[in-house]
Amino acid sequence: MLVGIVIGFAVGILPGLGGPTTLALMLPFVFRMTPVEAFAFLLGMFAVTNTTGDITSILFGIPGEPTTAATIVDGHAMAKNGEAGRALGAAMMSSLFGAVFGALVLGLAIPIVRPLVLTFGSPEFFMLALLGITFVAALSGEALLKGLLAGGLGLWLATIGLDPLASVQRYTFGQLFLWDGIGLVPVTIGFYALPEVIELAIQGSSIAKLDVGKLGGVWQGVRDTFVHWWLVIRCSAVGTFIAIIPGMGAATTQWLAYAHAVQSSPDRERFGRGAVEGVLGPGAANNSTLGGSLVTTVAFGVPASVGTAILMGAFLIQGLVPGPAMLTPEPKGHLSVTFAMVWTIVVSNIITVAVCLSFMGQLARITQIRGTLLTPILLTLIYVGAFAEKNVFEDLGVVLVFGAVGWVMAQLGWPRPPLLLGLVLGPLAENKLFLSTDNYGLAWLARPGVLVLTTLILVGLVVPVWNERRRRTRASATMAAPAVTPAGDRRGLRLDGATVFSLFLVLLFGWALWQSRDFGPRAGLFPWAIVIPSLGLAIVQFARDAAGRRSGAALDAIETGPDLPPGVAARRTAEICAWILGMFAAIWLVGFSSATLVTAFLYLKVGARERWPISIALSLASYAFVYGLFERVLAIPFPPGLLFAWLGGGG
Amino acid sequence: MVAVAVLAALPVLPAESQPRAFEGRTIRIVVGFTPGGGFDTYSRALARHLGKHLAGKPAVIVENMPGAASLIAANTVYKAARPDGLTIVNFHGNQLVGQLLGREGIEFDARKFVWLGVPVRDNVVCALTRASGIGTVEQWMAARTPVKLGGVGPGDTTHDTARVLQAALGLPIQLVRGYKGTAEIRLAAESGEVAGGCWQWESVKVTWRKALDAGEIAIVLQATAKPLPELPRVPLALDLARTEDARQLVRAAVIVPSAISRLYAVAPGTPPDRVQALRAAFLETVRDPEFLADARQAKLDVDPIPGEELAGLVEELFRLDPAIVAKLREILR
Repeated sequence: MLVGIVIGFAVGILPGLGGPTTLALMLPFVFRMTPVEAFAFLLGMFAVTNTTGDITSILFGIPGEPTTAATIVDGHAMAKNGEAGRALGAAMMSSLFGAVFGALVLGLAIPIVRPLVLTFGSPEFFMLALLGITFVAALSGEALLKGLLAGGLGLWLATIGLDPLASVQRYTFGQLFLWDGIGLVPVTIGFYALPEVIELAIQGSSIAKLDVGKLGGVWQGVRDTFVHWWLVIRCSAVGTFIAIIPGMGAATTQWLAYAHAVQSSPDRERFGRGAVEGVLGPGAANNSTLGGSLVTTVAFGVPASVGTAILMGAFLIQGLVPGPAMLTPEPKGHLSVTFAMVWTIVVSNIITVAVCLSFMGQLARITQIRGTLLTPILLTLIYVGAFAEKNVFEDLGVVLVFGAVGWVMAQLGWPRPPLLLGLVLGPLAENKLFLSTDNYGLAWLARPGVLVLTTLILVGLVVPVWNERRRRTRASATMAAPAVTPAGDRRGLRLDGATVFSLFLVLLFGWALWQSRDFGPRAGLFPWAIVIPSLGLAIVQFARDAAGRRSGAALDAIETGPDLPPGVAARRTAEICAWILGMFAAIWLVGFSSATLVTAFLYLKVGARERWPISIALSLASYAFVYGLFERVLAIPFPPGLLFAWLGGGG
Repeated sequence: MVAVAVLAALPVLPAESQPRAFEGRTIRIVVGFTPGGGFDTYSRALARHLGKHLAGKPAVIVENMPGAASLIAANTVYKAARPDGLTIVNFHGNQLVGQLLGREGIEFDARKFVWLGVPVRDNVVCALTRASGIGTVEQWMAARTPVKLGGVGPGDTTHDTARVLQAALGLPIQLVRGYKGTAEIRLAAESGEVAGGCWQWESVKVTWRKALDAGEIAIVLQATAKPLPELPRVPLALDLARTEDARQLVRAAVIVPSAISRLYAVAPGTPPDRVQALRAAFLETVRDPEFLADARQAKLDVDPIPGEELAGLVEELFRLDPAIVAKLREILR
């Protein structure tokens, strides 16, 4: 188990090395173990990836795992405010809470879960996906229209790929790598990490913009967890119970928990600017998810996520057949194995969190290092992370595209979380909708479960609106202080930018609609249902932008630090973009490891004018890191560069 | 295009004889699916033992190149791998049916691939729940309302088998498509949403063991060339087919593709001596006691098809009467 924890620790911290992938790589080792040993090893590893993934998210704004992206929104904002320690402490402690909660549910719920899950069919799953989509509104902050549009964009992106039913290619441009849709990992990395790198370069400072008063904020974060204990428990419950639904993993639950934290907070304006609740929610949920998704794996042999699917392979290797036998005491069943799993999750998280808390203070100091020293390392992590998930070079292009989109959205005050939520829930919703109609015709609309969920959705939509109204009337009675938007008082160029972006969306949705004209009803229904309203909303947004009516700050708009003269900012932006593209080109030309060496050195020496020893040492270190760890130890099949191919040399 | 660069960048080999060809080299098995799935598990088990059966004991590593149901891996290796026997591709046999029917995205010609073998023949059976009230093929034939089977999508065993049984044997079937995989179909069957489905017996007997033992599901039909030893009394789909055309359809769409679904191949133009060496090593590996011990533990069946025989089966598939092919295209849409 300890070995597993160590591996999981590293996996979580490194973006792009996902928990599931590593699980698969570790499977061969479990052949020779006893069942309890095997699960201690695998679960010990898997249980902590979501905990340590939070670390990368908070410190650098790069998701350490696709399941820790929601922690970025407030966690990284806290790091910028000099509260990295506090955010880390909160993330660790809430992770522990969540993991223990999920494990306990796994232990307790197993006897009752079978009948419960079997009452659910595709229609109920569809309604749950729909319920999740309605959270888009909560994730939009004050920019509701923009949030809905971003959600629509995410849902539309989810339709890219080969429609599995009619075998119609939707928006694939004939590219095979798009057949399976756009991967969540490159989108998330591009969306959050690249804008952060750009911002870091523009500011030319360290990550923490404010002075770090006291680094010992870690314990403050731990205290926060107990102060908000009720929220943490609720979000743990969200993680666990949503994860029981096949197809809903931590990638989804983290956002739902985040949305819940926002919704249930009395003062929403703080979110996205470093509200500790925004760390606690997803921190708890992405860890409690494991317990939930194991429930269906253990009880039915139906894995709820990629990770549990691989764990199920491990079950079979060990000669355990998931199902009721896992719940029967020995000698007939394997109840002890199930309980060993529960304890493993609990214990491995306690160990991890204890270890993390002991050196979080030191980790938090990273946010004070000069940004220029971090940039090449962050870029390396971004590119390696994007590649390693599927070993596809094209994914680097996806990162760049979404980096650009994410940066523009952040600049113009568009909320980004709704897009990601749409992206993860879209395929699920479409799939379950068709299964419902295929199975039951239209009769599924009248199923009791569906009616209950419909009521829930309506309540969820109406109550916040009503609350908002009450709040407004109260607020206008006392004082009128709407948040000033960061994009509101900029010069003409920015205003044009906003208009251009809305116009771009109008054109994009228009094009999407035109493209979908020959999809046929089966493959086309879902894109039409998304694109047509989105197009309408985009036109409204365009009209508002063109008329110069700005409103509402986004939930995670990048807070710009001290104002720079526009010329300097523009120059630095251009420079960093050139470096980002340059590294992409370098990878393409000379391969990953060499590109890391060359880019890091050039950036440090030429771009940042660092001293020779620092430049040489750092670039060599990053080269050793990429070559040693990824190429040698993990044998990731990096493509050799084109130059070598032309020269006919070895790759 | 990038992949071309990837594979073209492998070092040029002087023409050397087999005993030296693999010495100090690394053989890569490119798997067209994600880590942890069935294809990946077989490939990793093979990779652990393949090297020691080749002269020079090369290292063997597994790389995952998932995407488009293994089509990306198949296309890439076909178009861009050097024919030096160092890149082995493992992709899905249903893609060959795809080529036969002219499906989109296929950029290889299966008749030019060099086949190394298959570690296991898959055998397709139909499992229905007791709750559905259908326990035998006779009851199924006589069912008043079509029996609901869960399926994934065109090109997948669950889908193609159901379609062919409906068209060739006249079984009353309502195919519900869109499930993500057999695990989801099992869940839907247990909750009563569908009656069951048709897919590999090798998977059913492991993942649905409990329900089988408890009599909650029954195997009512097997779409195999001959009865499986474990299912001696379950009727064969071939015996229910009334015409030669119907039998051909079942063979071409279900029996042959499932037998060769876990294909291993190297790029066209690989020198004959290396092909010989690899084919021999493949067979020795799947008979190696250590490999078999690993496979037993991982619940992997082993029932290999040697390379030459596999090449023959592929040929047979492509010799199909054009009229039958046209009919298949109609059925499997």
